[in-house]
Amino acid sequence: MIALPLAHPGTADHRTPLRFLWWMARGQWRTLAGGMAFGIVWMSCQAVLPAVLGRAIDRGVAARDTSALVAFAGLMLAIGLLQAFTGIMRHRFAVTNWLVAAYRTVQLTGRHATHLGGTLPRKVSTGEVVAIGNSDISHLGQVMDVSARFSGAIVSFVLVAVILLQTSTTLGLLVLLGVPGLMLLIGPLLSPLQRRSAAQRQLLGDLSNTATDIVGGLRVLRGIGGEQVFLDRYKRESQATRRAGVEVARLQSVLDALQVFLPGLFVVAVVWLGARYAVEGRISAGDLVAFYGYSAFLMIPLRTATEFANKFIRAKVSATRVCRLLAIEPDTHDPAEPADPPATGADLLDARSGLRVPAGRMVAVVTEPSEDAVRLADRLGMCDPEPTAEVSLGGVPLTAMRRADVRRLVVVSDTGAALFSGRLGDRLDTTGEGGDRVVEALRTASAEDILQALPDGLDTQVTERGRSFSGGQRQRLVLARALTADPEVLVLVEPTSAVDAHTEARVAARLRQARAGRTTVVTTSSPLLLDAVDEVAFLRDGVVVATGTHADLLRSEPAYRALVTREAVATS
Amino acid sequence: MSARTTLPVADGPALRRYAVDLARRHPRLLWSALGLHVLAAVAGLAAPRLLGNLVEAVEDGTTTQHVDRIILLLAGFLVVQTLLTRFARLVSQVLGEQVLAELREDFVGNALALPVGTVESAGSGDLLTRTSRDVDQLGWSVRWALPEWTIAVVTAVLTFAAALSVGWWVVLPCLLGVPPLVVGLRWYLARAKDGYLRESASYSQINATLTETVEGARTVEALGLGRERVAAIDDDVRESFAAERYTLRLRTVFFPSMEISYLLPVVATLLLGGYLYTQGSVSLGDVTTATLYVQMLIDPVDRIVSILDELQMGAASLARLLGVAQVPDDREVSGREPTGEDLVASDVRFSYVEGRDVLHGVDLEVGVGERLAMVGPSGAGKSTLGRLLAGIHPPRTGAVTVGGVGLVELPLGDLRGHVALVTQEHHVFVGTLRENLALAAPPGATDDDVRGALDAVDALDWVDVLPDGLDTVVGSGGHTLTDAQAQQVALARLVLADPHTLVLDEATSLIDPRAARHLERSLAAVLEGRTVIAIAHRLFSAHDADRVAVVEDGKVAELGSHDELVAAGGSYAALWRSWHTG
Repeated sequence: MIALPLAHPGTADHRTPLRFLWWMARGQWRTLAGGMAFGIVWMSCQAVLPAVLGRAIDRGVAARDTSALVAFAGLMLAIGLLQAFTGIMRHRFAVTNWLVAAYRTVQLTGRHATHLGGTLPRKVSTGEVVAIGNSDISHLGQVMDVSARFSGAIVSFVLVAVILLQTSTTLGLLVLLGVPGLMLLIGPLLSPLQRRSAAQRQLLGDLSNTATDIVGGLRVLRGIGGEQVFLDRYKRESQATRRAGVEVARLQSVLDALQVFLPGLFVVAVVWLGARYAVEGRISAGDLVAFYGYSAFLMIPLRTATEFANKFIRAKVSATRVCRLLAIEPDTHDPAEPADPPATGADLLDARSGLRVPAGRMVAVVTEPSEDAVRLADRLGMCDPEPTAEVSLGGVPLTAMRRADVRRLVVVSDTGAALFSGRLGDRLDTTGEGGDRVVEALRTASAEDILQALPDGLDTQVTERGRSFSGGQRQRLVLARALTADPEVLVLVEPTSAVDAHTEARVAARLRQARAGRTTVVTTSSPLLLDAVDEVAFLRDGVVVATGTHADLLRSEPAYRALVTREAVATS
Repeated sequence: MSARTTLPVADGPALRRYAVDLARRHPRLLWSALGLHVLAAVAGLAAPRLLGNLVEAVEDGTTTQHVDRIILLLAGFLVVQTLLTRFARLVSQVLGEQVLAELREDFVGNALALPVGTVESAGSGDLLTRTSRDVDQLGWSVRWALPEWTIAVVTAVLTFAAALSVGWWVVLPCLLGVPPLVVGLRWYLARAKDGYLRESASYSQINATLTETVEGARTVEALGLGRERVAAIDDDVRESFAAERYTLRLRTVFFPSMEISYLLPVVATLLLGGYLYTQGSVSLGDVTTATLYVQMLIDPVDRIVSILDELQMGAASLARLLGVAQVPDDREVSGREPTGEDLVASDVRFSYVEGRDVLHGVDLEVGVGERLAMVGPSGAGKSTLGRLLAGIHPPRTGAVTVGGVGLVELPLGDLRGHVALVTQEHHVFVGTLRENLALAAPPGATDDDVRGALDAVDALDWVDVLPDGLDTVVGSGGHTLTDAQAQQVALARLVLADPHTLVLDEATSLIDPRAARHLERSLAAVLEGRTVIAIAHRLFSAHDADRVAVVEDGKVAELGSHDELVAAGGSYAALWRSWHTG
C-alpha cells in the first residue's frame, strides 16, 4: 500500500470536469490497473463456478465416478480460494483508489483555499467548499473504486456469454440481450423513486438541523421558556418526515419486489429453455444446473454496471464543483518587478485619508461614520479586492511589494478574525518563533485568567473555531496571537469591544509597553484605549480632520467628544 | 473549561426494556411484517427444489409437457414471492419510520429537559454528536440494517430447514463452515466498532478543519497562516489514513475467513452427496437440491454477518440517545405560588466543579421596578450570579426566590413569566421568523402580537421588506440576519414572553459598534416597566442604573448608587475616573 497523504497533490487539470477526472485517474493508474486485474480474476472465478459445479454433477455424481468427483470438488475449492484471495486484493486496491482520490481532492481544496486567502469569501460561498469535504470527496473516491469492479463485470459478462453461445446460440443471445434489457425495465421506476428519496432526505436534513439547534440554543430556550413550543414544532416536522418516508417505502418496496421478480423471470426463462434442450438430449443435467447458476450470477455484473453509471454521473457533478474552485485566481498578483521592502523604522502613510503613522508610535483612529474604520484597516493591510497604491511604508507603495513581504511587515487583526483549532500554544504562535513571547502576549491581552482556567495550559486543544471560549475570551486570545506575531506594523480593529471595563483598562495600560518601538494602529471608540495611545487621529468622512492626544481632542473637538463619550445617547 | 464529564449512556438492560416496550406498542405491524417475510422466504425456496426435480426428471427421461408443468410452477412461486416481498418490505419500512419518529421525538424531548449546567460541563460536542451523528446512525440502522438483517435471518433459517428436509446428512457439511465463521466474526466484531467510529470521526475532523480554513480565509491570509493550515489538513488526512488502514487490516483478515467458511460447506455437500449417491442412499435430484440450498445459504448468512457491525453501531447510538433521559432533573416543582415580584438572593453559594465555589455567599435584594447594574472583572462571577438570579442553575446552598418561592421550585413555563435571561448569544433557530418568535409567545398568540413585539423593538421595518416577511426562513442555511437583527429578534421574544424581571448578561456586547445605538433604543423599549438586572462592561448603563453592584471574587464587594460609589472612592470610583475623564 502506498503512503498517504501525498507529499504534493500536484497541479490539477481543471479545465473541464472530464479532464479533471482523467488527470486524477492518470495520477493513480498503477493502483487502478492493479484493482482492475484483480477485479477481472475475481469476477471470472465467480463466473466459471456454475460450470464447474455442472461438470461435477455430470461427470462425478451422475457418472458415479469418485475420482472425477474428487477432482472437480478440488477444482471448486481451488477456484473458491482464488476468488477469496483476489476478492480481498481487489478490495484493498479499491480502498486505496478511493482514498487517493478523496485525500488528493481534500489536499487540493485546502491548498487552493489558503492560496486564495481573502479572495475566497468574495468569490465563492463557504457552503460550496464545505460540500467538497462533505460529499464530493466520497463521490470522486467511489468512481475510482467502482471502475476496477466495472472492468471485472464487463469481462465476466463476456465470458459467460461466450460459454453460453458455445452451448446454444439462442441461450447466448437471450443472455446478451436479456440482461441489458432487464436494466431498462427497472429504469422508469428509478426517477420517481429518486425524487421521493430526495424529498425525504431534504426533510431529514431539515429535521437534523432543527435538532442540532438545541445544542446552540438550549440556553436561549431556557432563558425564555420556549422548550414546549420547540418540541411541538419538532414533532410536527418529525411526523412530516415520517410520512415522506412512507411515500418512499411505497415505491421502494415495489422496486425491491421487482429486483426479486425480474432476475427470477430471467432464471425461469433460461431454465425453461435449458430443460427443453435437456429433454431433447442436447445438453446434460449438469449443464442445466450450470445455466441456473449463470443466470443467477449475471445479476452481479448487471448491478455493477448500473452502479458505475450512477457513480460516474455523480463524480462528474463533484468534479465540476472542484474545478470551479480551482479555477478561481487570487484578486491580487505580485508585481512583475517587486520592490524591496523598506528598512525597519519606516513611517506608514495613507494618502487617501492623510493618515500618517510615524515609525514606532501607537496611533488610535476614531472615525465618523464608524464603519469607515474597517475600510481603513483593510486598506492599510492590503486586504481590499483592489488594493491601492495610496498606502505606502517608508515611501514604498504596498502594492509594489511582494504579497508575502507585505503580510510579514503588516498584520491586520479585525473583529472577524478567526481562532483555529489545535494546540493552543501553536495557534497563538503563528510564526513558530514566538517562544516566550506567547506568555508575554497573553499577559498584555489580560488573558492569563483564561490560561489558568485551562487544565492543560498551552497544551489545551482548541475546539473548532475556538467555540469552547466565550466571545470575550476569544477576542483576547486573538489579540494575543497578533501580538505574538510581533510584526513591524500591527493594525488592530476594536480589539477590546467584547471585554469588560476592568480588563479593558488593563489591556490599554499594557499594550503600549508591549508594542514599544513598533508601529501600531488601533481603531477604537473606547476612552480607556484612546487615553493610552501616543496620538489619536479623528477621521470624518474618510479624511483626517484632527490629531492630538485624547485629552486634547476631547477639549477641542465637540464632534469627537460626542462620539467617544456618547453623552447624547446614554441608555435611559 | 474545567474537567469534562460526559452525558450518561444507557446500559444493556435499559436498552432491552426500551426495545421490548417499543415492540409492544406496535404488535400488529410487527407481526404482519415478520409473517410476510417468512412466507416470502418460503416461496423463494421452491426454486432449488423444483430444479432438483427437473434434473432428476431429465436424467430419468421425461416429456416436454412435464418440464413445462414444472416451469409453470416455478413461475407461479416467483409471482407469489414477488407479491409477498412487496408487502413485507412495505410493512416493515412503515414500521421502521414509525419507530424512528418515536425514538427521535423522545430523544429531543429529553434533550430539551436537560439542565443547562449538565450540557455545559459535558461540553456541547457530546450533545451535538448525539443529535446529529447518533440520530443519523440510528436512522440508518432502523430504516435499512434492522429489516435487512431480520429478512436475512428468516431466509437463512428457512433455507437451512429446507436443506435439512432433503436429508439429515446436509448438517455435516454445513458444520464445517461454523468454526471459521464464529472465530472470524468474534475477532472482527471485537475490533470493528471502535475502528469505524475512529474512521468516521477522522472524516468529521477533515471537514471541520477544511470548514474553518475556508471561513477564516481572510485571517489565514492576514496572518500568513497558509502553511500551517495546509499542514493541519495533511495531519487530518494522515490520521484518517491510519484509521482506514486499521479497518482495512481487519477486513483483510475477516473477509477471506468468511469466504472460506462459505466455500467449505458447498464443496463438502457435493462430495458427501456424490458419495451417498454412489452408495444408492440418495437420488441425483437430492444431491443437486442440497448443493443448491447450501449455496443459497451463502447470501443470507453473508448479510447477517456483514450487517452485524452496523447493528452494533446502531445499538451504541441508541444507548447514547436513551442515556440523555437518565440525567437527573435539577428542578423540583413544589406547587407553591409566588406572592410578589421581588427577587431575593440569600447566602448564595455555587460551584461548577465540586469543591471550587465561584460564588461565596451572595446576598442581594432587587426591588420591583429597580434598575440594578452589575460590574466587575472577568471571571468574578457576574454571569454566574446572573444565571442563578434567572433560575438557570440551582444554588449549591442558600436560595434565590421570587415572591418568597424558590426559582427552581417553579415549573419552567411559569418561571419565564417571572424572570427571563438575555445573553450575548443571540441564537437564531432554523425555521421561519414567525417560529423564532413564537418560541417565547404564550399559547394563542396571533400574528398581530408577533408584529407588535417586532414593532416595539423597532424591527418591523426590515422584517416587512424581507422576501417572505414573517415566513422568511432564517437560521443556519436560511436567510442570514445581521447580528443587530438577530439581537432584535431576541429582544422581541422577550416582549412576547413578558416577564416582570429581566437579567441582561452583556446583552449588547458583541454587537457591531455601528449598530449599538439603534439597538439601545430597541432595548429601552423592552426594559420599559420591568425590573432589570444588567451585567455590563460598558459603564454607560451603570451610570444610569438605580444601584450598582460591583462583583469581585464571587462576592458583592460594593453596592449603592453611582454617585454613592464614586463618592466612596472604591474600585468602581477608580474605574469610572480613568474611563470617563481621560
